[in-house]
Amino acid sequence: MFVYEKKLQYPVRIKNPNPALAKFIISQYGGPDGELGASLRYLSQRYSMPYPELKGLLTDIGTEELGHLEMVGAIVHQLTRKMTPEEIKKAGFETYFVDHTAGVYPQFASGTPWTAATMQANGDVITDLHEDMAAEQKARTTYDNILRLSDDPDVNDVIKFLREREVVHYQRFGEGLRNALEKLDKKNFYAVNPAFD
Amino acid sequence: MDNKCNFKSGSLPSCAPLAMAYVPMQECVKPTYNTAEALSRGTLFPGLDLPFMNMVNTGDLTGTPLGELMALDFVAHELVLYLDTHSEDSEAFDMLKNILELANTARERYIKLYGPVTTMELAKAQSFTWLKNPWPWDYTAKLEG
Repeated sequence: MFVYEKKLQYPVRIKNPNPALAKFIISQYGGPDGELGASLRYLSQRYSMPYPELKGLLTDIGTEELGHLEMVGAIVHQLTRKMTPEEIKKAGFETYFVDHTAGVYPQFASGTPWTAATMQANGDVITDLHEDMAAEQKARTTYDNILRLSDDPDVNDVIKFLREREVVHYQRFGEGLRNALEKLDKKNFYAVNPAFD
Repeated sequence: MDNKCNFKSGSLPSCAPLAMAYVPMQECVKPTYNTAEALSRGTLFPGLDLPFMNMVNTGDLTGTPLGELMALDFVAHELVLYLDTHSEDSEAFDMLKNILELANTARERYIKLYGPVTTMELAKAQSFTWLKNPWPWDYTAKLEG
């Protein structure tokens, strides 16, 4: 069960609307390494995890990712408020605008809708944790790239926070893997899948 | 705790089986940033604070009841994630309990001034204040609350 908290994890206050930035920041909402995929990846992988510390870790990080989805949505929403048709055309935002107006839609920066093909629930403890560590690195890279492209200090303030969370999550998933290995056969970690066998 | 590594490094197995990835274990919950620093840096732990091109946030967001609540809730969450992989660390658990107590006080203060954070808190409200603006994604010039 989930309970909504009517506050963000970290404040989002973008003074200057700028649809040109929203065009690529939307990728961390519904892109290949964005927060929607992150939350669904972890919250879906939980079910087959055999160990309580991994059930807990995936639940707690997956829930935090829902909070990050909300923060990225807030950035896009604030960047696209009060746009005029002239500003939309000047920013090259018309391809998004014609389909979604100023709605927040989960898509890649390139326009492809969010797809579950960007994530996995493999059902193998070692494989899923490796996927999670890779996912954190991919999201970290995307935030690095956003920092390279954006010169808005209000946007970058939030992006720096979200980027650092990827580093922390990577460490925790790595530790989760270390804890899981303690329970496996050290002569052959791949002898069985403890989530199934 | 007897640490062989400083806070920026962690322990690895001495002779590890091949064909596996090993991330060093964070050995100790300390040192930590204070709550205001933790929120602005995006982590409670200086050892995990690894910014891109040295771009870091230095502002203090805790000057309002909402900022204070965000910072305390964030530190509690960081400690929960640490405990998920260090469940026997009693020092970290004591820190968590202490922070949760402060967060509860900050939450009550915020709710009294600005309205409920969850619908459960409507039990003490005079009217249905859940719908009160601003919602978290609305632009506000100041950190409301």
